[in-house]
Amino acid sequence: MTADGDRRRVVVTGLGMVSPIGIGWQEAWRAALAGTSGAGPITRFDASAHHCRIACEVAGFEPHDFIDRRSARRMDRASQMAVAAARLALDDAGLEIEGDGYRAGAMIATGNGGSETFEEHHRALLERGAERSSPLMIPVMIVNMPAGHVSMQFGLRGPTASVVTACASGNHGIGDAAAAIRRGAADVMLAGGTEAGVTPFCMAGLDATRALSRRNDDPQRASRPYDVGRDGFVAAEGAGVVVLESLEHARERGAEIVCELAGYGASSDAYHLTDPEPSGRWQVAAMLQALETGGLSPEDVDYVNAHGTSTPTGDPVEIVAIRRLVGDDRALEVRVSSTKSMHGHGMGTAGGFEAVLTALAVREGAIPPTINLDDLDPACAGVDHVANEARTGPVRAALSNSFGFGGHNAVLAFAAMEDG
Amino acid sequence: MSAANGRVRVAVTGIGVVSPLGIGREEMWRSVEEGRSGAGLITLFDASDLPVRMACEAHGFEPTDFMDRRAARRMDRYAQFAVASAKLAVADAGLPIDRDGEGIGAIIANGGSGATSREEQHIALLERGVDRVSPFAIPLSVANMGAGQVSMELGLHGPVTAVSTACAAGTDAIGTALDILRRGDARAMLAGGADTLVTPYFVAGFDAMRVLSHRNDDPAGAARPFDRDRDGFLIGEAGAVLVLERLDDARARGAEVICELAGYGASADAYHITDPDPTGEPQARAVTAALEDAGIAPAQVDHVNAHGGASKPGDPTELLALRLALGDEAAARVAVSATKSMHGHCMGATGALEAAITALAVREGLVPPTINLTELDPACGGVDHVANAARPADLRVAMSTSFGLGGHNAALIVTRAEDGDR
Repeated sequence: MTADGDRRRVVVTGLGMVSPIGIGWQEAWRAALAGTSGAGPITRFDASAHHCRIACEVAGFEPHDFIDRRSARRMDRASQMAVAAARLALDDAGLEIEGDGYRAGAMIATGNGGSETFEEHHRALLERGAERSSPLMIPVMIVNMPAGHVSMQFGLRGPTASVVTACASGNHGIGDAAAAIRRGAADVMLAGGTEAGVTPFCMAGLDATRALSRRNDDPQRASRPYDVGRDGFVAAEGAGVVVLESLEHARERGAEIVCELAGYGASSDAYHLTDPEPSGRWQVAAMLQALETGGLSPEDVDYVNAHGTSTPTGDPVEIVAIRRLVGDDRALEVRVSSTKSMHGHGMGTAGGFEAVLTALAVREGAIPPTINLDDLDPACAGVDHVANEARTGPVRAALSNSFGFGGHNAVLAFAAMEDG
Repeated sequence: MSAANGRVRVAVTGIGVVSPLGIGREEMWRSVEEGRSGAGLITLFDASDLPVRMACEAHGFEPTDFMDRRAARRMDRYAQFAVASAKLAVADAGLPIDRDGEGIGAIIANGGSGATSREEQHIALLERGVDRVSPFAIPLSVANMGAGQVSMELGLHGPVTAVSTACAAGTDAIGTALDILRRGDARAMLAGGADTLVTPYFVAGFDAMRVLSHRNDDPAGAARPFDRDRDGFLIGEAGAVLVLERLDDARARGAEVICELAGYGASADAYHITDPDPTGEPQARAVTAALEDAGIAPAQVDHVNAHGGASKPGDPTELLALRLALGDEAAARVAVSATKSMHGHCMGATGALEAAITALAVREGLVPPTINLTELDPACGGVDHVANAARPADLRVAMSTSFGLGGHNAALIVTRAEDGDR
C-alpha cells in the first residue's frame, strides 16, 4: 500500500459510548455480549398519560463527569452526551488534538437535536410571552449544536457539521466524516450520533406513528426484532462516537487500530414517509455501494449489525435485502443480529451505537446477540440469526445498516486490519 | 474531464428558488438586478405585540403549484419550499430523471427543522393531550424531510441527506454534494437548503439573542450590512436548490452550464456558541481551503457574496477574515456584496440562495448590490463594496461564504466554465 493509499484509508482508533447499556465501550460491550436489556419505565418525564411508557434511558449519566458546570448549562442533554462520548472516544484513542486543530473535525449527527430544550422553552413562551424568552432557546436547541460543542470542547477546527437523516443519521455522519478524511480535508474526525428524545412531544409523536412498542408491563422484552411477537421499537437516548483517522496518521502516531472503516454506501427509497420500499432494492444498493467503495465483495461479509428496529413491516424487508445482497445460499451463513434488542432504537444515534459495537465485533471476533428472539417470524428467516446468546468466531468484514424515516439508507462496511 | 488539480469538474446546470425576492430563477434575479428588498411586516402569524414585527417572507407561494394537495398537507412549509425549489431547478436544468433516478441524490440543508408544524403539534399536545398529536407530527417536524420529500417527489435513489450547520448549512450541503460527485457516488445531485423560521418560537428566540433589527417602521431599510447604522438581521424564509452534474455529462447532454462549482472549504471556530472568533482566523481558513480545493490563487477572486448578517461584531470580523485569506491588496480589489440586505437571513437555506445568486452573477456578469449601505462603517473597510446598485463586471471567479451559530464556517468557489477548459 502506497503512502497516498494510506492517506485515503480510514481506520477506527477510538470508541466512545454513552448508552442505555453502559457508559464507556467496555461496559457497553460486556452488557452486549451478556445480552442485557437497557429498557425500563420512562423516568425522564411523567409518562403516565402516554400509551408508550417505556424507553432505553442512560442511567447514571452525570454531565459534570465530562464537562465543566458552566459549559454544561449551555448544552441540551443531546450535546452533553455527545461531548461525553467524544471525550471517551478521544481517551480511548489516546489522541491529543495537535496544534491549532485545523486537521481535526467533527460530524455528530442527530435526529432531532435539543428536544428537551425546545419543549421547555416553547412551553415558557406560550405561558409567559416573548419578553421572557431566553437567549439560549435557539443556540441550545438547534440540531448542529452537538457537533458545534464537540468542536468547542476539544478545539477541533476542521470540517464540523451535523447530518440529519432520521434513524440513519449516525451512519451518514460517520460516512461523511470518512469522506472528509479521504478527500484530504482532515486527518482525524470525531464522528457518530446523539439523541435525547425521551421527551413528551417526541414520545407522543413517535407513538402516533404507531412505531413504538406498547409492551409497558415488560420493558426488557419489548424490543424483539424478528420475533413473531414484536410490536414496535423502544426509543433510546445516548451518544456513540468513534475516532476516525487516516491510516497514515494512525500509523505515524503508533495508534492501536480497532479496525478499518472500509466503505460507505448511501441511497434513498423515494417511496414513503415512514415505510421502507418493500422489495428492499435500495437497501441492497446502499450495502453494495458500501462494499464496493471498500474494495470488498458480498462473500467477505461475516456479520451484519442490522437496522432491525422490531417493527412488523421493517424487519422482514431488511432480511430480504441481505438475502438479495449475498444470495440465498450464502445468506444462511451470514450472521445477523440487531443490538437494538438491547440498547433500543437511538434514532439519530442508532448508527453511533452500532458502529461502536460492530467495530468491536470485528476486533474481538465476537458477535452480540439479538435478545428476545424466541420465536422467529418466518418472514425474517433465511439468515443465520445470532439469537439470544453471543457467538465467537472471526469477522473479516461486517456491515452496519441504518434506514431512516424519509427513505434514507446508509451502510458502513468495517473490515479487520490484515496488515496490522 | 479533470481540472488542473486533477479533480473531476462539476457544473451548475439548474437553479430553483422560492424566496423573498421571487419564485423561480428569473424573478429572483430581476429583483437582485434592481436591488429590491424582500422585507415587510410579518403576515405568517400575528406578530403585532412583538418587539420585532418584520421579516422577509416568500409571498405568493402556492404549494399546489408544485405538488398535489395530499402531498402538500404532509409537508411542513420548509419541505414544501424544498420540493418546489428542487422541481424548479430540475426544470431549469432540463435534467432527465430516468432509470428510476438511480445515481441522482439530494442534499437539502436545514437549520431549524419543521418549525411551524412542530410548534403547532406541540401546542396540540400541551392543550389537548397525547391522543390529539398527529401521526405526521414527527415526519412533519424533523430536519431531514426536505431532503426526504425531494427524493420522494422526484424519485431520486442516490445519496439523500440533510446537512445542518445553522446559518452555514446551505453552503455545506452544496460542498457535500460536490464531494459526492467527485468521488463518483452519484452522477447528478440536487443540492441546497430550505428553512422557514418566521414562527413565534424563532422570532422570540432570535430577538432574545439581540440579533434582529428592530427597525419596524422601515422594513425595506432594516437589513443594512456593513452600514454604520445596522442593528441586526431580518429572518428570511427560502428554498434554494442547485442542480450539479459532472461537467462532461452536462456538456454531453447539451445542458446550459451556468458556471463551474470549483471548490469548497469548511472549518470550525471552536470558540463560542454564538459569537465568531474575533481574530477571523478560522473563517479565513475556510476561504483558503476552498481556494486550494479549486486551485485558485487569492488574487484571482473577483467577487465575494459575503455572509453579511448585519451584526455589529460579525460584519467586521468577516471582512478581517477575508483580508487575512486574500491579502490586503487582493481584498481591496474584490467586489463584495451582502445580498442578505435584500432577501434577509434565510438561515439553513441562505447559503444555497447566495450560492445561486453568485452562480448567476458569474453567468450574467453582474455583481449584486448590498442595499441600504448608505454610510460605510469604517470597521468594514478594506474591500470594494458594491453599494446600493448592481454593477456589471467581467466575473471569472466568485466566492460565497457562510458562517453559522456554533462556529461553522464554509466557502464555495464558482468559476466561468469556459475559463477552466484552457
